[in-house]
Amino acid sequence: MRVAVEEKVLSENDKLALGLRERYRKHKVFCVNLISSPGSGKTALLERTLEALPKTAKVALLTGDLQTENDARRLAKAGFPVKQITTGSTCHLDASMIIRALDDWNLDAIDILFVENVGNLVCPTSYDLGEHAKIVVLSVTEGEDKPLKYPAIFAAAELCIINKVDLLPYVPFDLAQAITNVRQVHPGMEVVETSCTKVQGLESWMAWIERRRNQAMEGGAAKGSAV
Amino acid sequence: MPGMHELSIASAIVDRAKAASEENGGARVTKIGLRIGEISGVEADALTFGIEALSKETPLQGVVLEVEFCKRRQRCTACSAEFAPEGFLAICPTCHGDQSECIAGKELDVMYFELEDAPCA
Repeated sequence: MRVAVEEKVLSENDKLALGLRERYRKHKVFCVNLISSPGSGKTALLERTLEALPKTAKVALLTGDLQTENDARRLAKAGFPVKQITTGSTCHLDASMIIRALDDWNLDAIDILFVENVGNLVCPTSYDLGEHAKIVVLSVTEGEDKPLKYPAIFAAAELCIINKVDLLPYVPFDLAQAITNVRQVHPGMEVVETSCTKVQGLESWMAWIERRRNQAMEGGAAKGSAV
Repeated sequence: MPGMHELSIASAIVDRAKAASEENGGARVTKIGLRIGEISGVEADALTFGIEALSKETPLQGVVLEVEFCKRRQRCTACSAEFAPEGFLAICPTCHGDQSECIAGKELDVMYFELEDAPCA
């Protein structure tokens, strides 16, 4: 006997991510998911971002690593709520980890939620966290062919941040070629160049957040400017 | 786009198949028809492994998967030509435009279950 089904299969993670997306919509939270190789400067970028925000900004952060609370300690210095997610041996964050981490937070008190994923350019791409946008960070101490080697994350992300540009005079990184490679994989992708030690390019990144957040909040009344 | 989430997908399929078995008096599920797109992020081998592992000692034990693969197809934003891209990049072969939308290849669907007649029907 054949039973016709013809249904989409949603994995457990996709179901949980749908739930998160609905909660973010209801509580007007704008969520971004930062993905990069280990050492590209996600934490440093977030540190500079937090320093540039007014103390009254309603911002919160979740940061993922296999072990240690080091990143949460670094990020907590700015005074905004931060929670470390230690995954043990898991190479990515998944939606259930986000749900557990948000458990005792009041989402109405959060306008922007930064999620710093585990440093990994492969697996985090497959796990929807209910975010509005994925952001991929590439640093100039890596190869400019990374977008071609790991195309899936560059195709899935909305914004590419090229970090550590202050080191360009000292490394053989071809910036123009890197941007060409990014856009070969993801035509028209927005690219922002930053340095977190020389504090450079931050305003373009902050402007992107503000613009993208406004776009995400369209249709529902936004809670006002957060940045 | 090899994903590592096949076990979670396999679990969703197995749960759905078990429910179909229960609705039919605990009948054995002998075949599952699936449709998997080229860029669905699911590797058929990993999915098969997951379903085999999860179906032990259930009415699904020994179930056969029949997979229909769907090639990725894009439609060019500029000239509306439909094409199957070679590799990851999607450049329109007609007008060489680099903007296109995906119209096929993301499928991940359960199409049907085949069940044996129920033991007590």
